[in-house]
Amino acid sequence: MGYGHRLEFGITIPPVLPEGAAAFARRAEELGYDVVTFRDAPGRSLDAWTLASWVAGRTDRVRVGAHVPCATPAVLARAAASLDLLSGGRLELGLGAGEEAAALGEAIDIIRGLLDAGERGPLRFEGEHYRVRGARRGPAPERYVPVHVEAHDPPMLRLAGRKADGWVATLGRIKAGGIRAANGLLDETAREAGRDPREIRRLLNISGRFSGERGGFLDGPPGAWVEDLLPLVIEEGVGTLVLATDGAEGMERFAREVVPALREAAGRELAGAPSGPAVRPAWVRARRQPGIDYGRIPASLGENAVEPGDPAYARVRSTYLRGGAPGLVLRAGSPEQVAEALAFARSHPEVPLGIRSGGHGISGRSTNRGGIVIDLSKMDGIEVLDEASRRVRLGPGARWMDVAAALAPYGWGLSSGDYGGVGVGGLATAGGIGWLARKRGLTIDRLRAVEMVLADGSVVRAGGEENPDLFWAVRGAGANFGIVTSFEFEAYEVGEVGWGQFLVDASDTAGLLRRWGAAVEVAPRDLTSFIILGAQRPGRPAVAQVFAVVDSDRPEVVAGQLEPVARAAPVYDQSAVITPYASVMANAQGSYHEARGEPVARSGLIRHITPRFAAAAEMLLRSGAAYFFQIRSVGGAVSDVAPEATAYAGRSANFHVAAFGASPERLDAAWDAMRTHFEGTYLSFETDRRPERLREAFPPGVLERLRELKGRYDPENVFRDNFNIPPAERRQG
Amino acid sequence: MTDYGHDLLFGAFITPAARPPTHAVELAVAAERAGLDLVTFQDHPYQPAFLDTWTLLSYVAARTERVRLSGNVINLPLRHPAVLARAAASLDLLSGGRFELGLGAGGFWDAIEAMGGRRLTPGQSVEALGEAIGIIRELWDTEKRGGARFDGEYYSLKGAKRGPAPAHGIGIWVGAYGPRMLRLTGRMADGWVPSLPYLSGGPANLAEMNRRIDEGAASAGRDPSAVRRLLNISGQFQPSRGSLLVGPPRQWAEELAEISLEHGVSGFILMADDAAPIELFASEVAPATRELVAAGRAR
Ligand SMILES: Cc1cc2nc3c(=O)[nH]c(=O)nc-3n(C[C@H](O)[C@H](O)[C@H](O)COP(=O)(O)OP(=O)(O)OC[C@H]3O[C@@H](n4cnc5c(N)ncnc54)[C@H](O)[C@@H]3O)c2cc1C
Repeated sequence: MGYGHRLEFGITIPPVLPEGAAAFARRAEELGYDVVTFRDAPGRSLDAWTLASWVAGRTDRVRVGAHVPCATPAVLARAAASLDLLSGGRLELGLGAGEEAAALGEAIDIIRGLLDAGERGPLRFEGEHYRVRGARRGPAPERYVPVHVEAHDPPMLRLAGRKADGWVATLGRIKAGGIRAANGLLDETAREAGRDPREIRRLLNISGRFSGERGGFLDGPPGAWVEDLLPLVIEEGVGTLVLATDGAEGMERFAREVVPALREAAGRELAGAPSGPAVRPAWVRARRQPGIDYGRIPASLGENAVEPGDPAYARVRSTYLRGGAPGLVLRAGSPEQVAEALAFARSHPEVPLGIRSGGHGISGRSTNRGGIVIDLSKMDGIEVLDEASRRVRLGPGARWMDVAAALAPYGWGLSSGDYGGVGVGGLATAGGIGWLARKRGLTIDRLRAVEMVLADGSVVRAGGEENPDLFWAVRGAGANFGIVTSFEFEAYEVGEVGWGQFLVDASDTAGLLRRWGAAVEVAPRDLTSFIILGAQRPGRPAVAQVFAVVDSDRPEVVAGQLEPVARAAPVYDQSAVITPYASVMANAQGSYHEARGEPVARSGLIRHITPRFAAAAEMLLRSGAAYFFQIRSVGGAVSDVAPEATAYAGRSANFHVAAFGASPERLDAAWDAMRTHFEGTYLSFETDRRPERLREAFPPGVLERLRELKGRYDPENVFRDNFNIPPAERRQG
Repeated sequence: MTDYGHDLLFGAFITPAARPPTHAVELAVAAERAGLDLVTFQDHPYQPAFLDTWTLLSYVAARTERVRLSGNVINLPLRHPAVLARAAASLDLLSGGRFELGLGAGGFWDAIEAMGGRRLTPGQSVEALGEAIGIIRELWDTEKRGGARFDGEYYSLKGAKRGPAPAHGIGIWVGAYGPRMLRLTGRMADGWVPSLPYLSGGPANLAEMNRRIDEGAASAGRDPSAVRRLLNISGQFQPSRGSLLVGPPRQWAEELAEISLEHGVSGFILMADDAAPIELFASEVAPATRELVAAGRAR
């Protein structure tokens, strides 16, 4: 009789020894215990929550089980989320001692409701015992926080059957022979509530005595303990044994002499089972999307799969600019897992598929509604392969600010973009217009090889020698051809750079753009500059922000090169510093994305900022249709690369122009007037999916070759979330 | 000159932001390393963008060795005083006597009620705070025999078990502004922590407020020096001299020394969410202020 849980062992820390508690817990962690638990006892003993939080701060791996009274459930919910976050997902919440079943049931609903930060809208709860009137949900815990309920009588057992993730009983208060009946009641009420009894882990608090000869139940040599405990595990389905002991010696002997023998005897199935719930709770399953076969999620991905009812869902549903509600997010940790996730996704051809690395896609729809997302954020390695040739290997999930920071100690860098939060995967498959573009080219220009998973699940390398066609396509249209699992780059030397920020008057918008563009075009390649304007508001002075990096650490060089660019208009405010390249990139916060809605963006590549273009841009900004307008310099080294060398073909441009608006119709109305000036598009900043855009992003020869290769590598068009290139029809015969 | 005879304390007031969860912890560790005496966190249990302050304090206590910790200030309406008493004593025991209990009567009643707390009028909340302080002190007193009893308007204890006793005399510091709260602070508290940005008249307001606390103390037969005066401050470091607490560290030190000598403030707690200002405050402002205050007191 088992419930499919991994057999686990815990220790109850006596709440009496302030100095000893942390040491005791650390020793339990060293001894391999899975969980340390704390229970509240009145009077001189320590407050269990405080003690559990303290111990979490002094341990690294062991889970922390806090068994506490529940005075104000909403406050306890926030505390639980907080302890789970601080401890890196190690909390188990124990409730029930001294409570009444009906009140506790309400409390659990409130706690779960507030922990469910993925659900939008405040929590309202009108109960007999507790009321919550529009409390905001969150914070989202690190993991699903299991709620364990202590139950020794039928009302509490029934409550545990309906609502708990674990049932806790103490041997002594329940007889070994009474466990079966209790399990029966739990299972029955669980089924009545539409749950699977395997959702409930069975935890048993035990205590005993080690002695030379058997004196009674759990009183004797370790072998006798094993004999006594084994039937509880095998026949009664107990998944966790928690030993209460005052002395370190009992804890040591139990870990060394009882646990291994019990594990061995209990057999392989239990040892290999997941430590979390064997099945997702019923209320999580209730939120599943039709059309996704959740039961067949590959086992290796199971623990890291996130579904709509999971607490981690709040952290993965949306991206930096796009709100989403996918039906399943599969977080892969290796090329093999990527291939498994892909095979699973391919068995669902009807639902959308998104590939996500850093989650900063604009054109890239790395979230969706009701579909599947393969998330690569765990594959975030940054590794130096060879110091002499400055070869580095980057995982797709690494963020560019972390790349910059990791390369800085070597004195190296890689130009990527202007924002440190952007991920390697999306940017390095599309282009990469960054702070050193004019001097060092696009990010993809330093790419030497990739490893990727193709639509058919094969893992291949592509580089100058191996699969050169694929390597060509990856550099500009990579998202259409597979999932890149690692990137090999040749970095270059970058130390401190000049970093200028200028707030300038933009009342003569067209003039400013012209003068800025002219200054940038004649500047030495050390300089790369971006300019940003927002919608102009009546009655407010129009301003623009000009940013520039000069790849030099000599103040006179930096000042000399910044000056002409800053002089494009009267300056309101300025700062210029010499600072490590990595600190220019360190501009993103380390937290998750929670955008709502859909971004609307347009992109164009242009050779010169001509007076007519500048006038059209001024009109666009005056119209208010764009709330964010940016021109980035390219040209320089970007144009040194032949247009046919990579799928990114817009090599002749000196500038990239992007605009974000709220409404596609309004934005297009103004943007269309500018189209005649453009010579192509950088797909990353284009959200329009009409076929014309494809022809702008890729010149005819390039598009033809891409379609032909798409037909070869992805004939069924599995990869279609980012500027989709339709595969060429297979020619007959 | 006003001098209540306390050594100067310098601390940080750190936002307990939930994301990323380690940020507040790292700043607290940075504050300790920089040499500050005290790390404090505000407590707004209805605010999901924040970590639970009690949990954070306990966790940070485990991650630090020397620095003292306090809520600034703990939200009484959502935390029962009997639970607070045990939790505070526990944290004090675990941390080796490094905990102080900053307490507030609460203010955002809609949010408190939404969480399941009881709505009180401002007047009631002052009375409730008074009762709470009484209960907390009663439960800490393990010298007394028998269960703790308390029969109040807002809280009652019916023979609750006492203890544990804290490791040191935990200071109860009250966040107070209105006349009733200030008198209560004088009667019952060990410390007072207002925030300078909330004082419409700036530091000059402190004189009148101190007077109310002193009166409250006198009415209860206490010495005014029983109540340490602390102050949450915010400002900006910049090379050139500017307005109050906007300027170089030397200017800060002069201004803080003046506030200290003039109004008897002996604790300055800087609201800051970056390591850089915390480090400047600890390494430059604190020692210079201490020197100036010592010189001023000696005169
Ligand atoms: C604030 C901001 C600033 C930006 N600044 C710049 C800039 O300065 N210069 C610049 O060039 N771009 C810039 N971009 C655009 C950015 O490069 C793209 O949006 C890029 O796709 C983001 O990559 P990601 O991994 O973070 O995004 P994700 O959302 O994770 O991915 C976007 C798309 O890329 C594809 N993709 C992701 N990972 C892989 C992979 N491993 N293999 C194959 N395909 C993959 C998928 O199709 C996905 O839909 C910026 C974007 C934002 C939001």
